[in-house]
Amino acid sequence: MSDPRENGGTQWIHNPIGAQRGGGWVDDALSEHMRETDAVGGRAAGGGRVLQRVEGVRGKDADAAVNARFYRRGWTDGLPIVPPTVARVRDTLRYSPESAATVIGELEPMHGEASVEKLAVNAVMAGCRPDYFPIVLAAVRGLLDPRFNLRGVQTTDESVTPLLVVSGPLTEELGVNAGTGALGPGWRANATIGRAVRLIMNNVGGGFPAVTSLAGTGQPARYTLCLAERTRANPWEPLHVESGLPAESSAVTLLRAECSINVTGGLDDLASVMASAASAFSILHGGYVTVLVAPATARQVAEQGWSKRDVSRYLFERARMPIQEWKRLWVRAKIAPTYGLPSWVVAAEAAHAPIPIVECAEDIVVFVAGADVPIPQHVYFPTWGFPPCRIVVPITLPRDWSRLRQDVAT
Amino acid sequence: MLRVSAAVERAGFPTATLVCEGFLGQAEATSSGLGMPALGVAMVPGHPDVQSVEELDRNISAVTLARLIDCLTTTTDGALQKTEPAPHEVVFEGSIDEVHRYFYENLWTDGLPIVPPTRERIGTFLAFVDRDPDEVVAEIPPDHRAATIWNIAVNGVMAGCRPEYMPILVALVEAMADPAYGVEHSGNTPGAETQIVINGPLIKDLGFNYEQGALRDGFQANTSIGRFWRLYLRNVAGFLPFQNDKATFGGTWRVVMAENEDALAEIGWPSICSEMGLPADESGVCIARYTGAHVIVSVYGSSAEECLPYLADAVVKYTGWELMFTVGMATGTYKPMLVLSPIVAKAIASSGFTKADVQAYLFEHARIPARQFERYISDWTNLVPGKRSLYDMTMLQKAPKIFGASRDRERLVPLVVRPEDFVIAVCGDPMRTNCTFLAHNGMLGFPTMRPIALPTDWAAKLRSSLAT
Repeated sequence: MSDPRENGGTQWIHNPIGAQRGGGWVDDALSEHMRETDAVGGRAAGGGRVLQRVEGVRGKDADAAVNARFYRRGWTDGLPIVPPTVARVRDTLRYSPESAATVIGELEPMHGEASVEKLAVNAVMAGCRPDYFPIVLAAVRGLLDPRFNLRGVQTTDESVTPLLVVSGPLTEELGVNAGTGALGPGWRANATIGRAVRLIMNNVGGGFPAVTSLAGTGQPARYTLCLAERTRANPWEPLHVESGLPAESSAVTLLRAECSINVTGGLDDLASVMASAASAFSILHGGYVTVLVAPATARQVAEQGWSKRDVSRYLFERARMPIQEWKRLWVRAKIAPTYGLPSWVVAAEAAHAPIPIVECAEDIVVFVAGADVPIPQHVYFPTWGFPPCRIVVPITLPRDWSRLRQDVAT
Repeated sequence: MLRVSAAVERAGFPTATLVCEGFLGQAEATSSGLGMPALGVAMVPGHPDVQSVEELDRNISAVTLARLIDCLTTTTDGALQKTEPAPHEVVFEGSIDEVHRYFYENLWTDGLPIVPPTRERIGTFLAFVDRDPDEVVAEIPPDHRAATIWNIAVNGVMAGCRPEYMPILVALVEAMADPAYGVEHSGNTPGAETQIVINGPLIKDLGFNYEQGALRDGFQANTSIGRFWRLYLRNVAGFLPFQNDKATFGGTWRVVMAENEDALAEIGWPSICSEMGLPADESGVCIARYTGAHVIVSVYGSSAEECLPYLADAVVKYTGWELMFTVGMATGTYKPMLVLSPIVAKAIASSGFTKADVQAYLFEHARIPARQFERYISDWTNLVPGKRSLYDMTMLQKAPKIFGASRDRERLVPLVVRPEDFVIAVCGDPMRTNCTFLAHNGMLGFPTMRPIALPTDWAAKLRSSLAT
């Protein structure tokens, strides 16, 4: 599609770093921050380096040189990146419904401008196929929704990360995996869309690990956490339809995930995991927790006439933490006394009743994904933070989508 | 309003500026121009002029109020400092193709190839000024970079200028930085473009074209200096499309207009720069921003009486919304330019008309009904809100007396405040009876003149440069 060594052996490489409204670079602001705080992190202090929109890299090993340079500067997630050449970025921009210069918002915590061009640069680096770009754009709109609390997610000492669930017909068209191994390696869309969002959070938003992003351990899902909701072997309406969008549209649903816990068995097994210290933060803050239900279980309960809501209600009733256990939790002992607790937790404590892990059944988000096999595997995604966050962003396609799709090397 | 807010913020007090939805782009351009891109703006949905009191109340409480409180509870920093190459730093080394590509991709060109600004080329330009290369001539908004002798030379080289144009480039940047000109408005949505006018002996010394095709590209002095202007606005001031340049359409930069001073001398009319105070025998430049150029073809007649009615008609025809610079937004700053080809100028002068007589004629005869004037500035555009009549504005001392002679809406009113507000230039094909008219952008690019200072040994330096 594009010759990476265009123009006589020189690669023209975009810089992935967000610009601030006043013209400064997020990178410079971070360097300043590192100087002020004497921060020592995994990231090289930029101090004094002059960034330009595009730099030239020469030689046969330009790809390796770009990789070495970007890694040294702290612009990657540690894995090799696809060098964001001018040609590759231009190619990705063709798949955008909006022009390159459009700024869709400012990303916390360093207020980097999310221009469409900058997002495309990071999508190329992540390895996105150009036709994934409309999904990346939708996901970034989700990050910008105030309910997502991007500043909190970026800077907290917790390991929370965005969970992207893509639903609608586009998932099959683009090959976003909802089936076997959907949360694992092997699927370009799942791997690169989530990765693009992470690189954008780092490079445009300035959430650099160990500098502004202080997650104590981090988690593997911070590389990518993106999958599709099943369109087949799914008895229920998908997430975007639940939120009032038409079935023929496609959308990204953003949730905040503290981690992902695999649960083999039935709904009671799920409830047992949910009623544990894993749910400490939803008890502390409230908000949405997410449950991936295996197709086999979904089919089984749907045949008994259960809706998704019935599943949520069942889990809500069953996933209760014994009061003694709750009182022993670190969060209860160390944070609740100064921070306070939601009224429904206070009420349960007063009644010496088991503690619900969320305020109401509607706060348990359910979707169907994973392998359609007899041994059902579910996933529980606990949450962190506030305000409650379940953000659905419709995916907007460029006007000439069907023509553009034919150009994609699959 | 944003100007006041910027001043108050600089003094350390938070501000909020109410801006109607349709003017958000303008507000962004203006606050950038003021060097405070993050100035707090509270948006008023839609336009209050077309809303009932209840609608307005609803909109303000639902949308404007929260933002207003935000703005008033935080203060704003000035423009952030960009990390940029040091003034003399070599930014790139490579082949000519690579240089073009690098400069283009970093948004430093107008899309055309540039002449690489090497130290050697910059040196030849610096030889044509008796000033320290690092001297800061001014700080230019919206980016507030220092305009230095050095970066003037850099952009001059890039534009394809010759070294001996350097004194003109310095004068142009000085004029650009003159507060009277108002460079900070250069990113406004009408997208008017500056016309540089040059007068004096340099026209011939440097080979400016002032005859046939005077406003056409193809002549190095006229063309490259015009290009320099736009590159300087881009690279030093910081006006880029999709950023601080919000022109709805915009236009290409204009080539420099040199007046035909032989023709002017023959009829005894002053040049534009000399009217603005340029001493005799010196050269100078005048800059102003204009919104168009309309050619007036085949001006038929051998006298002022025969030629001027057609020209007055054209002046009326090609002036519209710009009247808000005559009365309303920036009263008395509308200074349109009528360019006469030498043969038309001579026909007019043959009736004994001085330039002032031409200006007086246009002031008397290029008039429109008050009703039409009010449509342009108010009814059709709402550029001057409030729907006040010219008569009312005169009574409120918001318009000069001549605009409020009576309440009769059919009465004729002039297009400018003073006869001398019509700028008259002479150039173009000496044997063609065509003229051209440029409507003007008022205070957002007000005519500003600077004499051109020549270096010591100018004549010798020029001779030796021309020999290369």
